[in-house]
Amino acid sequence: MNTTYTAPVLPSRRMFAIRLALIIAGVLVLAVGAYVLVDSVALRRLPGLALWIGAAIVLHDAVISPVVFGLGILTRRAGHRLAGGIIVTVQAVIVLGSLMTLIVLPAIVAQRIGPKNPTILPLDYALNLGLFWLALAVGGALLAVWLYLRTRRANQRPSRLQS
Amino acid sequence: MRRLMFEARAQLASPVRNPRMATVIGRLLGLAFLLCFGTGLYSHFLQQPLAWMTFPTRPARLYQFTQGTHIVAGIACFPLLLAKLYVVFPQLFQYPPVTSFKNFLERASIALFVGASLVEITIGLLNTYQWYPFPFPFKQVHFALAFVIIGSLIIHIGVKLPLIMAHWRAAPTPESDERHPVDTGVVATVTTAAVNTAEGLPRTRGVTGRLLRYIDSTPALPARTSRRGFLATVALGVAAVVGLTAGQTFAPLDALNVFGPRKKGVGQQGVPVNRTSAQAGVGSTALAADWVLTLMLGGTERSFSRAELLALPQTDVDLPISCVEGWSQMASWRGVRLRDLVETAGGSPTTDLRLISLEQRGGFKQTEMGHEYVSDPLTLVALELNGETLDLEHGYPARMIAPGRPGVLQTKWLSRIEAIDA
Repeated sequence: MNTTYTAPVLPSRRMFAIRLALIIAGVLVLAVGAYVLVDSVALRRLPGLALWIGAAIVLHDAVISPVVFGLGILTRRAGHRLAGGIIVTVQAVIVLGSLMTLIVLPAIVAQRIGPKNPTILPLDYALNLGLFWLALAVGGALLAVWLYLRTRRANQRPSRLQS
Repeated sequence: MRRLMFEARAQLASPVRNPRMATVIGRLLGLAFLLCFGTGLYSHFLQQPLAWMTFPTRPARLYQFTQGTHIVAGIACFPLLLAKLYVVFPQLFQYPPVTSFKNFLERASIALFVGASLVEITIGLLNTYQWYPFPFPFKQVHFALAFVIIGSLIIHIGVKLPLIMAHWRAAPTPESDERHPVDTGVVATVTTAAVNTAEGLPRTRGVTGRLLRYIDSTPALPARTSRRGFLATVALGVAAVVGLTAGQTFAPLDALNVFGPRKKGVGQQGVPVNRTSAQAGVGSTALAADWVLTLMLGGTERSFSRAELLALPQTDVDLPISCVEGWSQMASWRGVRLRDLVETAGGSPTTDLRLISLEQRGGFKQTEMGHEYVSDPLTLVALELNGETLDLEHGYPARMIAPGRPGVLQTKWLSRIEAIDA
């Protein structure tokens, strides 16, 4: 790591004071949150909330992150003969599609359960999500073809200057 | 164990997992959190004002703007938070897991920060779908967690301040093809499989070993491609989740609104509905022939039938219904100016009012309106919507419509208006 990064930006005593003030202020705001929570939410509801917070961490750290890591490995493996830009494009398509699915899937479920009135969730979200994936795939494919042709042309030049 | 943790971190090392990227994404996420917090507090106090509070009534679309921002920034948090967690993920595998009590507190606060943030944006999203599969009340928990998150954010900034300041600006000469460790503590310059086996450590056996070797032999991407690709993906992610939903409040994006929970123009008389007459239990009382609006002002009581209200001078205004869930709908209203009605009934438009609806149940059947809205010429007791008699779902026989207030305070199915004695 570049050593200039670690050079102190502020004199250490001032830095210490600012950090201490921030941490104390943060703890106070956190305490307000805890008070509001206990004050406004029935105690028997709090275990459910704790469970959701814990589950969110587990879901992210033990499911989403490893899947993302695995996808990174697999796409790099599968595309090891291709230019990096093409692999990144494929990864971006998968990530963007998954992100939108994560956000829209609950809407589809809520729609199936049945909204309280017909003006809530009035669109065909499943169809739109499918079209979104299709648009991503087409866009990604066009970009990948363009990147592939560009790389091939660059490689066919006699000088073969590689970056 | 230590080696496993080390290897996990080395394997997870990537050109985007460095303190500079954490600072770049963190800044954006912090900004989104602060926007949500500020606009959320504004919305909260509009609905539950402290005694001394008055609010601006102009611009008339102020609440549409603040609450639209709340929802847009909130949905942008999904790609930003996931990106931030991606950048700092190897931190999870620090070894030993806890080095000191101070370190334990720091890690615990991070866990709370991450967990609370994930829950906050998730229940916020689900609330816009009006779907409540969680075992706690939305409004109170969403409000309380906001303070937990902002408190944790301030602590986090305090803890990481030297790192944030060192990486606030880009390094003058970025190294071209080096893998960055996340923190300054680990020396991870693993670029190929050869380096890892050359470290002199015994090869791990069994499935784990095979898996690790498989992972090790996977070619790395050029650092610059990797970084640019990551930033482009995050930018496109934010653009997609915002661009394809914001049309529910921001009219120019209406054509792109394919994922928003509401669609402009969808609903009775072209206006979406939040709470139906059936939910409110007003079906028969609102349609009763003997309905009157009673005003109790300064000790005198006066009642107006719908015909009597229609006989008073009528005013046309264009005001949006802006819902706390982030959608909004501009509409044309016609009715009696509230301040004129108050004066006709012998009251003063400088007093605060209590608005009582025919609603049988619900937290908003009785609300209060500050004098700043009462005296505003745009505030109407509306009788018509978009050129037609007000639909039952929009508050027939009469509803309130005022500038810059959340939809839940635009009381439908009005029954009684009382002066609040100061």
